[in-house]
Amino acid sequence: MLSDWLYVGIFLVIATFLPFVAITLAGILGPKKPNRLKSTIYECGIETVGETWVQFRAQYYIFALVFVVFDVETVLLYPWAVAYNQLGLFAVAEAVLFVLILFAALVYAWRKGALRWF
Amino acid sequence: MNATLVIEWVVKSLVIILVLTGGFAYTTLYERKVLARMQVRRGPNRAGPLGILQPVADGIKLIFKEELTPHNADKFIFTVAPVITVVPALVITAVVPWGREISLFGRTFTLYLSNVNVAVLYILSVTSISVYGITLAGWSSNNKYATLGGVRATAQMISYELALGCAYIGPILIVGSMSLVDIVEAQAGVWFIFLQPVAFLVYFLASLAEVNRAPFDMPEAEQELTAGYHTEYSGMKFALFFMAEYIKMIAVAMIGVSLFLGGYLGPGIDRFPILGPVYLFIKVAVWLFVIIWVRATLPRIRYDRLMALGWKVMFPLALLSVMITALVLLFVES
Amino acid sequence: MTQQVLAKQVQEVFARFSDGVVEDQRVGYQGYIVAPEHLLDFARALRDECGYDYLTTVTGVDYLADGKMEVVYHAFKTLGGPALEFKVQTNRQNPIVPSLALIYPSAELQEREIWDLFGIRFEGHPDLRRILLWEGFYGHPLRKDWKEPYFEEVAKPFKSRFPDGKVYRAEDKHPLKDNIDFPEGFDPAKWEAEGDAALYKALTNIPGADEPGIKTEQIILNFGPQHPSTHGVFRMAVLLDGETIVNLKHVLGYLHRNHEKIGERNTYIQNMPFTDRLDYITSMSNNFGYAVAVEKLMGIQPPERAEYLRVMMAEFTRVISHLMSIGFLLNDLGAFFTPMMYALEEREMILDVFEAVSGSRMMCNYFRFGGVAHDVPDYIFDKIKGLVFERLPRRVDEIDAYLTKNEIIRARCEGVGVLTPEQAIALGVSGPLLRGSGVPYDIRRAEPYSIYDRLDFDVVFTEHGDVYDRYLVRLEEIRQSIRILQQVVKQMPEGPIQIGKSTYQVKVPPGEAYGRVEAPKGELGFYLVSDGKPNPYRYHVRSPSFVNLGALAPMSIGSKVADAVVNLGSIDIVLGEVDR
Repeated sequence: MLSDWLYVGIFLVIATFLPFVAITLAGILGPKKPNRLKSTIYECGIETVGETWVQFRAQYYIFALVFVVFDVETVLLYPWAVAYNQLGLFAVAEAVLFVLILFAALVYAWRKGALRWF
Repeated sequence: MNATLVIEWVVKSLVIILVLTGGFAYTTLYERKVLARMQVRRGPNRAGPLGILQPVADGIKLIFKEELTPHNADKFIFTVAPVITVVPALVITAVVPWGREISLFGRTFTLYLSNVNVAVLYILSVTSISVYGITLAGWSSNNKYATLGGVRATAQMISYELALGCAYIGPILIVGSMSLVDIVEAQAGVWFIFLQPVAFLVYFLASLAEVNRAPFDMPEAEQELTAGYHTEYSGMKFALFFMAEYIKMIAVAMIGVSLFLGGYLGPGIDRFPILGPVYLFIKVAVWLFVIIWVRATLPRIRYDRLMALGWKVMFPLALLSVMITALVLLFVES
Repeated sequence: MTQQVLAKQVQEVFARFSDGVVEDQRVGYQGYIVAPEHLLDFARALRDECGYDYLTTVTGVDYLADGKMEVVYHAFKTLGGPALEFKVQTNRQNPIVPSLALIYPSAELQEREIWDLFGIRFEGHPDLRRILLWEGFYGHPLRKDWKEPYFEEVAKPFKSRFPDGKVYRAEDKHPLKDNIDFPEGFDPAKWEAEGDAALYKALTNIPGADEPGIKTEQIILNFGPQHPSTHGVFRMAVLLDGETIVNLKHVLGYLHRNHEKIGERNTYIQNMPFTDRLDYITSMSNNFGYAVAVEKLMGIQPPERAEYLRVMMAEFTRVISHLMSIGFLLNDLGAFFTPMMYALEEREMILDVFEAVSGSRMMCNYFRFGGVAHDVPDYIFDKIKGLVFERLPRRVDEIDAYLTKNEIIRARCEGVGVLTPEQAIALGVSGPLLRGSGVPYDIRRAEPYSIYDRLDFDVVFTEHGDVYDRYLVRLEEIRQSIRILQQVVKQMPEGPIQIGKSTYQVKVPPGEAYGRVEAPKGELGFYLVSDGKPNPYRYHVRSPSFVNLGALAPMSIGSKVADAVVNLGSIDIVLGEVDR
């Protein structure tokens, strides 16, 4: 079992190697003639005005909050699904209850207007 | 633990990476050809016969391009972001089986890198990481289009992720294991697409959003944000984003095929296990064709609509599908 | 020319202003001259009491010899009928005219254009900045005493080139010293654009208090000029709060070449190929508009066959333009070029016809005053028949079947970019934009020209005024155009295609005329003033795209970035015509 993860680890190392090689190679082979205009920001040919890194309004902020809750809850279904065959009726009842709570929460968030952009 | 075993792993890893990068190169050509045919055009046909050298030419061009970094960008994150995007795309394929065991040079190989028992969970967690790459790329460019693209990528992620997560549960329930090898082997009788049609559909849609493909290509939305999160990227760094997108396309196709379309299984697989990869990649090619077809056909959906689709349609549907599967399984067993 | 007979309530309004509004008595002129102090009241009375709610054209004329400048307005009733033309005169030294922008919002953009090109100030204008030229441009080029760099003569043909036939570019002869007139103390090397500061000031200057909630900052983002979906070098500066558009200003002039000044240097016939370059997709319609205006001034009528040929070409152009518009709209929606390629395929078929009749696919230069340049060759007639009776109807149905019921298209287009009928009329928009908002106003019916009064077709209109409705209007108009084409092909009479014999020089009597046609994109008008010389004294193009752009901001403010792009696509602009 552990060795399976070792394979993945080796693969990860080799896979990480690839983009670094590519970037380094391109860095060596590509021409380098920088000037001020080339390093300006692209905004359709117009010089950008104002700060870009501002207190940006993420309009789906509430979504993101609700998402964190639901994502964790969904992950809890995985072990249940794997062990389902051994668990029997009780587990099904448990899970249905759990999912119903999930559903209820979703409906609540929906009704409260969390699921819309503002 | 011995030297040959280590060499075997390294060779396997390299083969997977080479196949994926080669696959990426030819997926671009495949896409351009298919798109051209759908649009009453011919597509690339100058570099080599039928344009088969086009990806090579593209690759050489991109290597010899000058790389530009905006002067007020966050230079470290700007450089690291494409790496963060491309590595997860490669790494998720580690757990996808290509076939059963074959004998070669007097040794027996398994045609998969590793048979992790929580493969599905692993896929779910690793794929999410590349969103960081996209968001960081958008933010670090210090470009307003890129920032908007990065923010959209996050918005998109929280729209499809839940439905995607639920779509995996159906097959797991039936098989009782999270290992992809087990899941594929369990489809020897009937493919899960027939047992889990809703989960399949949800998976397909969510995976389109996952790889930022039309009609869910909001983070790069050419018509709105010029090039979205990779507006400022050029040369090899841009190529890495490109590569990440296409490798991820191949990866989600491989995973999708393994989950719902019987993976490497096909007629004659018991006698000739070497056919496994062939079946797998034929199925992947068909899956990719559908993705390209969708791109040629459909306009882009708006991001708030995707969110509504993800939360109000796909997620409840996927949950419902899980429940029905559980109940039917209970009924069948008892 | 005789003054039109006025309705009773119009006469009452005139009576009220007694000496403030007088008939224009100059030979060849129509309309009324309004005293500047009465202009606002007069316009309000005209709009509210007389039903002239649709002010489409505002332009200026510089009468250098009289020491006067004139602003010319053409107002129409949306119920149809001819124009009511009125003018305001002002002096040349310090020209000030009250702004009509608050009474007729359609005047806002056109008054900015007049300020830009003539230097007439409009009192009470909400945002009087230059529009086609850059902030800091020296002088106002449409004034008659303004001379461009490398200036040679007031009117063509220039003696340096004719009759000797020497051809060289003027700028080869003059190094960068002659005729370049910098303001005092101006150094071009040190100059920095001040226009953007004014633009951003106008952009961020929005009334209304801060909303409660999470404190966020707004960003200014430029879309264009180098942007994939602004249909050319068009720029919109938007103020964004997240992805929501708080304010939007569009910036024009990247393709400006002062078409009108060049047009005043040219002879009348030299302008015909020049109009091709306005909206380069619909050159035949542009020719049509110009020919109608000049013929109005000359008082001639083309022969029957020429009229049929003209209508045929104009309707083919409409099919092209609407097909491309639908294709590009889908492109703006994010459909990867496929609908556009399908549309372009049909366009090529029609361009074959244009090439056969005029020798050119895009810049056709086909119309002449009192006729057309060439007759249709016999071999192409079969192709035309095949197109209008078989291929085009089938292809339109095909596009309809592919697109109209598509879920994503409906989700993206329905309820987006809504323009109410009142807004549309006030903003002076025309063409599918106006008809999509539920105003059945089509110049081919409202003030028929050529042979349209004899042809059988419907004015298409829909009632929601959103992007989807504009798409539907365009689609249906293609069908109506095909219907017209079928009638034209069936009824095509034999006969001459040109009145008199064709000449290089036409005699145009002094006077003024406003000729307008229903171009695919809306009302294309040409306002001409002749002083009897071979060149027009004033040559103004009222381009539909330019005025329609005024609707972009009202449509887009409050919507998302993605919708603004679609709104722009649904307006269907061509920059050659917007910037002129």
